[in-house]
Amino acid sequence: MLSSCHGMFDDLYDTPTESIDIREGQLYVDASSWLDWYYIDFHAANHNAAEGGTFSSFVKEAIPIEELTNQEGIERLDNIEGLENTGNAPGIYTYWYDVFGVGLSNHDFRGFTPTAPQPEPEAWHIAVHRNNVRTNHGAAYETTYTSINDLPKNSETFRDSTFTPDEWNELDVWTVQDQMLQGLIGNQGIEVNPVLSSWLKMDIPPMPPTYTLNNHVFIVRFPDDTCAALQLENYQSPTGTKCCLTINYKYPY
Amino acid sequence: MRHLIISILFVCGAAFSAAQQPDSIHHLNDVVVTGTRTPKLLKDTPIQTRLITAADIAKADATNVEDLLQQEMPGVEFSYAMNQQTHMNFCGFGGQSILFLVDGERLAGETMDDIDFTRLNMANVERIEIVKGAASALYGSNAGGGVINLITKEATEPWTLNLNGRIARHNEQRYGGTFGTKGKWLRNNLSIQHTTMDNYGVSNASDPTARVISTIYGGKTWNVKDQLTYIPFEGFKLTGRAGYFFRQLTRTPDTPERYRDFSAGLRAAWKMSEQDNIDVSYSFDQYDKSDFYRIRHWDVRDYSNVQNIVRGLYNHSFNDTGILTLGTDFMRDYLMNKNLDVKEKHQNTFDVFTQFDWTVSPHWEMVSAVRYDYFSDGKDSHFTPKLTVRYQPINNMNIRFGYGMGFRAPTLKEKYYNFDMAGIWIVQGNANLKSEQSHNFNLSADYTKEQYNLTIAAYYNDVHNKLATGVPFYKPNDTKQLYLNYLNLNNYSVYGGEVTLQARWDGGWSGRLSYAYTNEQLPDDKDGNTVNNQYLPARKHALTARFDWEHKFSKDYGLRASLSGRYLSRVKSVEYVDYYDIAQGTSTIKYPAYTLWKLSVVQRFGKAVKVTTALDNILNYKPQYHYLNSPLTDGINLMVGLSIDLEKLK
Repeated sequence: MLSSCHGMFDDLYDTPTESIDIREGQLYVDASSWLDWYYIDFHAANHNAAEGGTFSSFVKEAIPIEELTNQEGIERLDNIEGLENTGNAPGIYTYWYDVFGVGLSNHDFRGFTPTAPQPEPEAWHIAVHRNNVRTNHGAAYETTYTSINDLPKNSETFRDSTFTPDEWNELDVWTVQDQMLQGLIGNQGIEVNPVLSSWLKMDIPPMPPTYTLNNHVFIVRFPDDTCAALQLENYQSPTGTKCCLTINYKYPY
Repeated sequence: MRHLIISILFVCGAAFSAAQQPDSIHHLNDVVVTGTRTPKLLKDTPIQTRLITAADIAKADATNVEDLLQQEMPGVEFSYAMNQQTHMNFCGFGGQSILFLVDGERLAGETMDDIDFTRLNMANVERIEIVKGAASALYGSNAGGGVINLITKEATEPWTLNLNGRIARHNEQRYGGTFGTKGKWLRNNLSIQHTTMDNYGVSNASDPTARVISTIYGGKTWNVKDQLTYIPFEGFKLTGRAGYFFRQLTRTPDTPERYRDFSAGLRAAWKMSEQDNIDVSYSFDQYDKSDFYRIRHWDVRDYSNVQNIVRGLYNHSFNDTGILTLGTDFMRDYLMNKNLDVKEKHQNTFDVFTQFDWTVSPHWEMVSAVRYDYFSDGKDSHFTPKLTVRYQPINNMNIRFGYGMGFRAPTLKEKYYNFDMAGIWIVQGNANLKSEQSHNFNLSADYTKEQYNLTIAAYYNDVHNKLATGVPFYKPNDTKQLYLNYLNLNNYSVYGGEVTLQARWDGGWSGRLSYAYTNEQLPDDKDGNTVNNQYLPARKHALTARFDWEHKFSKDYGLRASLSGRYLSRVKSVEYVDYYDIAQGTSTIKYPAYTLWKLSVVQRFGKAVKVTTALDNILNYKPQYHYLNSPLTDGINLMVGLSIDLEKLK
């Protein structure tokens, strides 16, 4: 009876630990923060793996959210209001989303706050922010493969495939959540890769949002004509935090 | 709606004029136990008790208690809480103030202040006894608004085996089986039920005035219960029980939510003499919540509520003058919740109570009770009195008047919660909460003449220190983060009444019409500020109706047709214009009225086989907006069921 005081059948359940078992050719990035991009350099990742994981394979850079109040900011603000959200200027684009109704497809531009451009490290290949992915002037292609091990020997097979470059986006990089209950989200205006970002899709409705993992392997071609093969294996931390990404990669491919 | 009510009354009146048969059909000689914790005939119980019989449950074809109550009782509404978990409003009281019991035992676990109603399936339920009004003098905390007690069946035949199934829209499926055996000393009853339903989307018009939902979640459940009774000699009964419940709800495909319950109990009932009986029981109930991470195949528990309860109850009968009841309970309540500030908490509660049921004369009966409760967390204690008088001026008529105090001790969650609600605000517990207390006054009368039964009841509740969340606020040094604290609100009142008319006529006709009025005056906080009410208020007017026609065409074929429905009036709710800027004030949101009707036909083939065909929501009502308190429907629903009693296949 004493054992029943705190309950029984503990063996039914798993006890997650915060420690992550990372295999060779794998990265783990906690990209759950709304306020940061995580920049991944595959050269550094390979080096890190060779060194036994002694240093981080990614660099965190905060998203600028403070309003730019100098002349540049004022001009940008004037410009954005005139162009009605087509200016592609760095800043926070506030949108209203019909999160409790039709869903994200029903949205409305509500305001712009000019900010400093997104800082970037010197060397990087891709950057992740929750379910969003950017490339460093690269382009992505979604294969039908579900394992990097099954891919053709090299990327030449995909030479003639249609790769999609990063595109301007002011709807998906959710950054400011202060007014979320009212359906108002402040998004960073920035280029993201729509194909690579499809590896983790967030849907509203329903509320709370649902996440759907696409386990296909993606090929990313970079300006130096090198390629990386990438696959999202998991998007949750051991304790269930979403947007903690376990990425399988092969670089160069 | 007025035309609908007039039509119903007309049909009712026309049927009345056709009445011919004397009455023996209102179950007035059924035994009920919940009101006094002693067996009483329904017609004689001093505490007004609403009885839902096994026949009523079969007619409703209900899957669980939620399904049943909203069909059977006006003034009971199940809606969604903010996170689309089910919330009950029972005549102005929420789930924390209505005590659900199964064979007299409490249930562990809550979500948004309500127990998991899907645990309470209708398989193997003998009857449900509902006592409205404060019952804390006998049942302690959480019984301020009433008690709903599900009584399970015991095997009465050498063997019985029922198998049943039902299918409906949205891939809704229900399968069940009940196996009963009865020997000289041993009886056993095993029931298993499995349900599934897909999630489905619902549409809303543009520009809703309040929060709407776009998905109705289905899920799957498993419910297994076994009860073994041993009767070694006359007057002594030992009952052991065990149960397992599992529910899975999938909001996010990769992380379905799981709910489990493990229950067990042992009860000894000994009738020592004609005047004395004693009842001792031990009950264990563990309710767990977990998330299943499909990718890792991990099932991670984040909530567990474990209740171990020992009870003792002694009754002594003073021949015809009265019954003395003495009782005591001890409960160890353990809570593990990842959103508690210290993750794990427990407390012990202890109570003693006594009741004297005094038969003053053949026309007068008076019941008085007093109870003392002690809660180890905070060293809180309560005295709770109760007095009820029953007067029987003429045969088949009862007038009852009662006063009862109700109370609800703050839960461990309300004291120690610390939950970041998706960045909107942080909900904080409050260790200094006082118990919520209510004074309940009720007056009722019931009258039975031949095949008619009329019940009229009115009640008034004066509630002090209501436990709830208050006004969202910013801390002085943190203007970015909103907080929402649990606190005691100002005094407020809930009052209302109910009228129920039942009848049965020649030719297999029967009907019941119930109307409930509820006035729930929502409280402000102690400073007079309008609070962010956690749940939508009760609807003022509600009506339920049922008409049945039953006919036996031959030995091998019978038919029952039923039309049942409910109407709930519109309701106004005062809500903040902007949760982030409460200085903007409040506005009144109007939620629309609705009515839902169900037509069902049950065909009996031989003695063993029944086929049920039902059209739910026959008026094809589709809410324009699926608000949190809209009915969970997207239109008419065809249900087909089959039930076979194998022992009758001869």
